[in-house]
Amino acid sequence: MRHITKLIAATAAMLAVGMPASAESLRVGMECTYAPFNYRTDAGELEGYDVDVAKGVAKIIGADLEFVCQQWDGMIPALLANKFDLIVASMSITNSRLEKIDFSSPYRDSVGRLVGKSGGDKNLFDPSGNPIPENFAGLRIGLERASTYESWFNARLPDADVVLYDGSEPLYLDLVNGRVDAIMTNPMKAHLRFLAKEEGSGFEFVSPAISEVEFFGIGVGIGLQQGQSELKARLDAAIKQLINDGKLTEYALKYFPFPIHNEEWGDD
Amino acid sequence: MSFDLPLIAEALPKMLMGIGLTFQLLVLSAILGLALAIGVMLMRISGKWYLSWLAQVYIYVFRGTPILVQIFIVYYGFPQLDFIREGFLWPIFRDPFGCAIVALTLNTGAYVSEILRGGVLGVDRGVLEAGEALGLSKSQRFIYLTTPIASRLALPAYGNDIISLLKSTALASTITLADMTGIARTIVAQTYAPYEIFISLAIVYMIVTFFLQKLLGRVERYLGRYTIREG
Repeated sequence: MRHITKLIAATAAMLAVGMPASAESLRVGMECTYAPFNYRTDAGELEGYDVDVAKGVAKIIGADLEFVCQQWDGMIPALLANKFDLIVASMSITNSRLEKIDFSSPYRDSVGRLVGKSGGDKNLFDPSGNPIPENFAGLRIGLERASTYESWFNARLPDADVVLYDGSEPLYLDLVNGRVDAIMTNPMKAHLRFLAKEEGSGFEFVSPAISEVEFFGIGVGIGLQQGQSELKARLDAAIKQLINDGKLTEYALKYFPFPIHNEEWGDD
Repeated sequence: MSFDLPLIAEALPKMLMGIGLTFQLLVLSAILGLALAIGVMLMRISGKWYLSWLAQVYIYVFRGTPILVQIFIVYYGFPQLDFIREGFLWPIFRDPFGCAIVALTLNTGAYVSEILRGGVLGVDRGVLEAGEALGLSKSQRFIYLTTPIASRLALPAYGNDIISLLKSTALASTITLADMTGIARTIVAQTYAPYEIFISLAIVYMIVTFFLQKLLGRVERYLGRYTIREG
């Protein structure tokens, strides 16, 4: 009898120790106001690409999720102060942020893409995605002053006829007015702000997504405190699985007509 | 505050590449503006109420609004109108340079027409009466008496407006033109060094103004060559 009691006690103790592992709880920080990545619906539900990614990752690593809404400027301090365990808030992986926190591998890309008039027959890029300088001759390209896109043009197409703007709004205006023939910008922004709207009819992407890390950065990752290599490895594996299962594409297609990650990230 | 001198040395030649465009904007809009101003001034003093009224409305509108707003209206506002976009003027308004010239010309024209009117009104009545007594017709009096005297009277104020126009050309950088200011703003956005770049830009404008002043002084001396008393 005493043996049985001991056995039960031991089993209970083991269960108690084992419990946190099987029902790990992760608190996720995000802005909750950044549509379509993380935002509240009219019904108050959190939705968006970031939210889907967080849920997808949590399912794979077997954790419970708790979302914490946090203003952008306090996001990293709040992570460091242990207010939550992960940042899934469309935060780009940058060197200055890497000094303070760690990032998982990227789950969203950081790319540039040209938008121009639909039905143009000029091939601006060869099949492997490199620009063909001759075909840019005679085209006026609108870019934001001192943006990563300007750096890319200066490096890859130094002879292109580039017009610099102070903001993104005038870019779209002058594209519609015909003062520039194409603009280069973030494809997600271009879709939400322009292509999906009436004024954007008659325009389309005229280039593939250009993802040169040197110019545009690695992308968006999940932020976590430094020194958690085991958790980071699980997050990386989970993101890879989401890519290979086509889940990331599925999440992106809810909001955009194109995926917003790089398929190469999923290769094994 | 640390001052990055090598950066200035690197940035100055780049900024000076825009000086040609700055001069083009200045010279072209000064000439067109002067022509416009003469027309508007003549309307204003024509004695015909409808011409004078039209001139006054134009002067009031362009002196009463900031030139930056005028540039934005021409550049961003006009293409919203179909008849502009499909009309024969579109090649001018499509081009930011054309828009800048139109806005600067209209703006300076309003000020200069009032400067010229001041000169014309400043001509001594006695001179004109003397001309009439000598049998000069009205237009002869205007060409041979009023014009030279009025130009001399108006020149100091006109020079002021030219210098002010030089600095207004900097606003063309807001509509994508790469004049000196446009280039400077691009460099600042790349280097995050506003003090060095903008201070050296300011010095360049001051140097240009210096030579402009010298030039205007010469013209003033030339026009006033008969009024200098030999001592």
